[in-house]
Amino acid sequence: MRRLSSRIRKWTADILDLPQDVVFDLPRLTMIGDRQLYIENHRGVIHFSPDKLRLALPKGELEVSGSGLVIRGIWTEEVFVEGVITDVHING
Amino acid sequence: MKVTWLDSMRGAVTVRIRGGEVERFVNLAAAEGVRLLSLRRTSRGEAECEVTLRDFFRLRPLLRQTGCRVRVLRRHGLPFVLVKLNRRKFFALGMAFFIVGMYMLSSLVWSVEVRGNAVIPSERVLEAARREGIYPFQWSFRLKDADVLSKQLMAGLPGTAWIGVEKRGTKITIQIAESTVPEQRPLMNPRHLVATNDAVVTRIMADRGRPVVKENTRVKKGDVLISGILGDERNTETVVAEGVVRGLVWHEYDIVSPLIRKVKTYTGERRVQWYAVAFGRALQISGYGKAPFAKYETVRREERTIWRGIQLPFGRMKQSRLEIRYEERTVTEAEAKAEGLLQARADILAKAGPDAVIVGQNLLHEKADNGKVYMKVLFEVEQSIVEEWPLVHIQGE
Repeated sequence: MRRLSSRIRKWTADILDLPQDVVFDLPRLTMIGDRQLYIENHRGVIHFSPDKLRLALPKGELEVSGSGLVIRGIWTEEVFVEGVITDVHING
Repeated sequence: MKVTWLDSMRGAVTVRIRGGEVERFVNLAAAEGVRLLSLRRTSRGEAECEVTLRDFFRLRPLLRQTGCRVRVLRRHGLPFVLVKLNRRKFFALGMAFFIVGMYMLSSLVWSVEVRGNAVIPSERVLEAARREGIYPFQWSFRLKDADVLSKQLMAGLPGTAWIGVEKRGTKITIQIAESTVPEQRPLMNPRHLVATNDAVVTRIMADRGRPVVKENTRVKKGDVLISGILGDERNTETVVAEGVVRGLVWHEYDIVSPLIRKVKTYTGERRVQWYAVAFGRALQISGYGKAPFAKYETVRREERTIWRGIQLPFGRMKQSRLEIRYEERTVTEAEAKAEGLLQARADILAKAGPDAVIVGQNLLHEKADNGKVYMKVLFEVEQSIVEEWPLVHIQGE
């Protein structure tokens, strides 16, 4: 049943040309160079240190590495990270 | 997000979060809608962030849940300033006084200036402006609008073509454009023009009025030349007669011209006196004593010091006394005659006006006697012969 609904969703997304993050509940990352990162649709902070930030995602987790990382703002769905970002990694 | 100016108005604090599970605390705060701004990790598991004052008081239940502790590092914003000011009341009062005083002083009119007036005195303009409420130390918010003011000023000041009132800061400038008023002509009575002398009219030209005589007619003194009464017996109008009437007038002169003349001459002898002058007072320096002359003339010359084009009240004065002598000189009969005639001609021109022309002269009688020349001369002069004669309107006539 779940697989079926997932397939229907994918099919609708393909037909209607909808963005994937809306349909599949995926995170959307907006990155400005290596200094700002805007993450939408996260599920909370797992770990936070000046050189590493781990965020929970609906599926898996996101790991941001860098130096001097600062969370400029955090809301229920969004995180705004600033600092020197060297690596963005998604563990599915 | 950064601390915006609105947040800092409402007040914000910088806090340090210690101990417990910081990540869980952050997640909870985000879920509760508590805004943690500029969250950064410091060493040893501590975190720092900015929180608005309103959110700060919502932190407590979250802290209890996660076992974190919060310490306020810095406070910024208006609420904290107000608390501080509350402790220093007189300081706050002074500040308020300063601002209010500054505002009041700057909303006063400090000076009124009048510009562009040449004929109307500034005092009159200022007086009219005072009636409209423009004067020094007036509140500028009590003044009416500039266009209304200039209209009312114009009504109060005759002889102006335009008035502009401009307020710049605490200074009011009244700009005036004066209207050019035509020159007023003198009021004149209705009049005739009558003859001053017995004469023969050579030229008559009436600008206004009715010419009564023609050229080459003989007129007596007091005859009307240009009449100021127009119209016939029934309908008359009196006007100011104007015009030019010239005529030949005879002047008879008895001239006495002496053959011996007294002539003043300088002998060349002189005495010089020097004076020092300061502030209008002279002090004699040299040349004391009376001049050893029977008759003399005094010539003074004053020199002031000038320094860079400015006359100073110091100087010197030279007073020369020149000896004179009267000599008697005999002139010939012809010379005496010529001089007598010259004097008579000058006298005629002085009496009859500068536009008089001497047409002819007739030597009637001539005699040399007692060292003098006696002459009787008739001068024929063409001159203006008009005289004004006011017309007195008699009631009931």
